[in-house]
This record gives sequence, C-alpha cells and structure tokens, in this order.
Amino acid sequence: MPESPSPDSSGPPESRQPVPPAAAGVRHILRKVVPYVPALIPLGLTLAIVFTLLYESHLQNFGWAFFGFNFADYGIMIFVVGSFLTSVPALLLAMLIGLGISIASTTYLPRFVSAWLDPFVDLLAGIPSIIYGIWGYFVVAPYFGVNVWPWSVMHLGWIPGFGRAQFSPAPSGDGLALAIIILTLMILPITTLLMRDALRSVPRDLWESGLALGATRWEVTRRVAIPYAKRGVWGAAFLGFGRAIGETVAVAMVIDQAQKLPLNVYDGTSTMASLIIETIDSAFILTPQGVLYLRFLTELALILLAITLAVNIAGRWIIRRTFTEVAGI
Amino acid sequence: MGVAIAIAIVLLIVGIGAGYYIGASTSKSSTSTVNITEAGSTLLEPLMQIWSPNYTSQVNSHVTISTNGGGSGTGQSEAEAGTIDIGASDAYVTPGLGVINVPVAISSQLVMYNLPGLTNVHLNLNGTILAMIYMGQITMWNDPLIAAANPGVNLPSQAIVPVVRADSSGDTYIFSTYCDMSDKAWFYGNSTKAFQTTPPASGFQSGTANTGVITKLTETQYSLGYVGISYEGAALATGNLGYAALGDNNATGAGGTVASNYILPTPQNISYDANLGLARLNYAVYGLAVSLILGGSPAGPTTWTPGSGGTNPTAASPTPYPIVNLEYTILKTSPASPSHQTYVVQFIQWCIAWGNAENYLKQVNFIPLTPEIAGYDQQALASISISS
Repeated sequence: MPESPSPDSSGPPESRQPVPPAAAGVRHILRKVVPYVPALIPLGLTLAIVFTLLYESHLQNFGWAFFGFNFADYGIMIFVVGSFLTSVPALLLAMLIGLGISIASTTYLPRFVSAWLDPFVDLLAGIPSIIYGIWGYFVVAPYFGVNVWPWSVMHLGWIPGFGRAQFSPAPSGDGLALAIIILTLMILPITTLLMRDALRSVPRDLWESGLALGATRWEVTRRVAIPYAKRGVWGAAFLGFGRAIGETVAVAMVIDQAQKLPLNVYDGTSTMASLIIETIDSAFILTPQGVLYLRFLTELALILLAITLAVNIAGRWIIRRTFTEVAGI
Repeated sequence: MGVAIAIAIVLLIVGIGAGYYIGASTSKSSTSTVNITEAGSTLLEPLMQIWSPNYTSQVNSHVTISTNGGGSGTGQSEAEAGTIDIGASDAYVTPGLGVINVPVAISSQLVMYNLPGLTNVHLNLNGTILAMIYMGQITMWNDPLIAAANPGVNLPSQAIVPVVRADSSGDTYIFSTYCDMSDKAWFYGNSTKAFQTTPPASGFQSGTANTGVITKLTETQYSLGYVGISYEGAALATGNLGYAALGDNNATGAGGTVASNYILPTPQNISYDANLGLARLNYAVYGLAVSLILGGSPAGPTTWTPGSGGTNPTAASPTPYPIVNLEYTILKTSPASPSHQTYVVQFIQWCIAWGNAENYLKQVNFIPLTPEIAGYDQQALASISISS
C-alpha cells in the first residue's frame, strides 16, 4: 500500500517533487473523486440523522395510541396540534405583515428612504432565536399579561377562544398567543427579506408598461408585480414555516409548557420541539421507563422531521409549478 | 502562506498534546489541580454549589469541583457512561449497572395550595386523596373525603386546579411514587413514564421547574401542587400559599390507604421517616437503593406493590412525614482512572461527614443524613476501586 499524498501537496510549482507512478495513480483517482465528496455531504448527513433516529427509536411499537391525544399512553397528537397551532397562525401573520413591508419598501417609499430602512430587516433576520425568546419572556410577556390580555378578553371575548377561561389569562402573559406573537416576529424578517427581493426583481419594463396602460401603482403591484414574484412569496412561506415549526427554545420560553391542548389562546400547551427540550432528561433515566421514553422522543423527532421534509418537498413542487407558469407567460 | 498555516497548526497540536501530557504526568504531584466534574439533579445542584468552594478553600486547595445541572436523568446516564465523576440524582439507580448510589443528604417535598383564608391552616391531606385529585376523581375542595380529613375547616366549594411540572423532574417522580404507593388505582408516573405525570383532567396547569410551579400556584386560586422543600422559603414568601400536613397511611380504607395521623414536614418528622425506610433496607441485595416514601417499600426498592405503603410500626417512629427522599450521588465502581477517583471519594466523604453540617444544609432546607445512612455510605464507598 503506497503512502497516499497529503491533500495539500499542490503547493507552489517549483517545490513540487516528481511523484512515483503509483502515487500519481492515487492522486489521479483523488482528483477525480474528491471534488464530488462535498456534494455528497448533505445526503450523507440526512441519512445519518434518519438512521440514528431510527436506531435509537428501536422502531418501538406504541400501538395506535401513538397517534392519539393521551400523552400518558405515549400519544403525540397534542404536540402535533400544538406545533401547527403555533406555526400556522404565526406564518399567516408574518406573511401578511411581511408583504406589507416589502410592498411599501419596493413600491411606495422613495428609494433613499427604503435604502435606509432595508438593512434593519436584514439585521433582524440575523438575530439568534434565543434573543427573541429572552426578550419575549422578560419584556413582552409581562406587558401582555398585565395590559393586553385583559383588554382582549374584554373586547375580543366574543370570538371563540379569546374569552376568559377558568384560570387564564395568567398575569405572567405566557401562553399560546404569546408564542404565536414571538414566532411571528421571529420569522417576519426572513419572509420580508425574501418577498422584498422577489418584488424588487420584477423587471422595470413590466412596471412601466402597466403604469403606461393607466393602472395605478396599487393595481400594478397587485396584478403584475405580486404574480410575477409568486415564486419568492411561496419560497418565503415555506422557509418561514420550516423555521416556525422547528423553533424550540424561543417557543419553550414563552408558551407556558403544558402537556395538554390549550383551552383558549391564552392557555399553555406544547409543541413537538418544545416537548423534546423540556422532557429530554426523562430519556436519560437508567430505568426501563427511561429507555421507553427515549424511543418515544426519537419517534416524535422522526415525525417532526417527516413533517418538515413533506413541507419542503411540497414547497419545491409548488415553486417549480408556479415558476413554469410564470415563465410560460 | 499555506506552509505557514500548516506549521502553525502542527505546532498548535503539538502544544496541546504536550500540555496534556505534562498535565497528566504531574497530576499526582501536590502542586497540580484536580478538577472533579458533577452534573445532574437541579435539586441537589444548589447544595453542590455551596459545598464546592468550601471544599476547595477548607480542605484541599488543589481540588476544584465544577457543578452542573441538567436533571437527574443526565446525572445517571453520564455517570454510568463515565463522562462525569459525580452524577447527582433524586432517584436511585437499580443495582447491576456498574454504578453505586451514595446518598449525601435527605430532602423532602411540600404539598402546597392556594386557598384564600386557609394559608396558615395546614390542611390534612393524604396519598389517597392526592392520587384521586390527580386522577380527576376528586374535583372539588369540599369533597367529602377532604372534608372528613379536615373536621372544622370551612372548605370552599371550588374546583381544584392540580399543578404539575411541565419538565422532567425528580419531584414528579417522588410525588407520583407517593400516589402510587397510596392508591392501587394510580396509573400515572412510575407505571407509565419516567419522571412525568399528566393528569387526565383538562383543568390542570403546569409550570417549568419549582419556581414555575410556585408562580402557577400563586397566580391560580384554588390550585394544588408539589414543591421541593428547598423552595419552601420562596413559596411562603409569596404570602398566599400554604402547605399541607400529610397522612401516614396507617389504616386501610376504600380505594387505598387512609391516615390515622397527619404530619407536618419538620426536620424531626423527616428524620423519623428516614429511619423507618432504613429499617426496610436490604443492603446486601440492593445497596442503598431504597425509597423513603411512606417509610420505604416493604417489598424491596424496585418491586413495591401499588397501594402497599404505610405499614408503619409507630413505636419506633411516631410521626414520620411521608414524602422524604434521599439525594444520591451516582459513582462508578470501576472508574477509568482509580487515582482520580481517589479525589472524588475523598470529596464525597467530606460531604457526608462535614458537608452535612447545619450551616450548609440549612441554606437549602435539607436534612442531615442519619448516622445509619452515613455508615452505609462508607460501606458503599469502600467498594469503589481507588488508588492512593
């Protein structure tokens, strides 16, 4: 077995030594193979994660109760519902507000104003989620608990789920609604960023021709620019949803963890991700129950992974379809 | 440029290696520093944080102890894997996994409630009543069973709001063990899930960590929950929480056991219960793996029968408080480095002998080990392979 040359042997040309034929062959093969290796890393990583989870779960069969609402019988449904209850409203809110910001920025605001304001969106997109969590926990939650929720109980109480239940809203302010608000703020920058860039990529010609035909700026935005930028809007939605459903720490800090369905919007509940982080210690107990709980959590993690992947694939499919439509115009 | 970076990297690696080698080779000399790692139970963590600097300053300035939380499960599995020296746990590890249980303190648990006007009245509750509340079978404060245990107390006609821990918790484990041993019908907690309990009643609330439970109890009237005794001061400081006197489950009644005495969590009563549990200890078979709930399990530590607790010979221990727990350190019997383990054992021995002094334990409301438990601890420590 010849010594394989070190990968960094491609130094300056004058320092290069003549290589023996066998080493040259190895080097040749390396040159052929090595460039493809990085491309395989994502695939390998995905497979490694899936296989590790499958292995740790031992494919434990929890029966049909696994897809039920009874956590005591190892049911996951409370947490699946909790995940969608937080991420779907947060996504809708973030998309609406984000679209508003990006339309204002690309269409209505003078160029020099938006040039000053846009970097703040980019800046917000880079803030780690834990900072949103801490801010939500220490600043937003107490304020909402004391000032906002009592108001909304009084004035929005006629909407199902917004009225006062037996013990909520709690003065601490934590709960489902606050988790939705924090998630919305967290994914707002990334959705805004993507939609703004998509809207900005609308060709000037399309704009001008729309305006030349006598349409107002709003009509051009609604009928020309947004349909053209559809792909970016969908992309923003799927990326935002992926971040929202997988968010762990920020949600765990403000959702008022409870392994139950919420009675109203102020009540506590759990998402799949927040359950895992709150109860992971149970999986390390050196008892049969601990082993079983580790398998339960890994299977829950697999479900979360499957949901995320499904959303991702659906997103790609929709984007491809939309893109062909637009290109076909 | 590339060559320079390569040389720098090589030098760095050599440097780290040499540093490690030098550090390892001189670790036996009296001038080097030994670092003992501890992780696990968040109930024991405050005490470890008190002990650690005191040990370094008073006993051996070359030994430092780094303390970490993470939870009892983390403490158990990391100690077993050997990634830490001392695993702290609220629950014992069953024998046969290469680790031993060495208790370093006795803790207890309060059952607290938020009942306006009854804060300073210690309500009488027992394991059967608590199990039935958490199973959704007793829903009102003025339930006949609660009223029967509290003659002369004006109980409100209000729904009970049970509060549980949302996170994995040794407190949940201890509390559900108490319910399990008191009521044959109990089916949450130990029987189904480690360190978790979920009442079926939709009206329950939960909090993260003891402080979260206290917050929840404080802001929810007519609530009921369990709080580690270390947090007694914090809970009572809120002004609207009271704690219950718990039954000894001496007599048998419908559905489980009922009490003949109601006992407050005083240090004296907690020690009584610890002695009772030790009387049931089978050291030869189980080591120090013993439950102290309701004076220990008559059928051995891992095989108790639900609802069997509280066959209490009152002569030796007149008023044992039922929810008492040993706080364990989990130690490897065959450590990778016996010489390092010497320092670990020395530290644990100090914890048992000197660390149990009142000025340390009082800060977290723990109770000193009884002389019998300390004696068993020394036996257990002797089974660890160390070298001097």
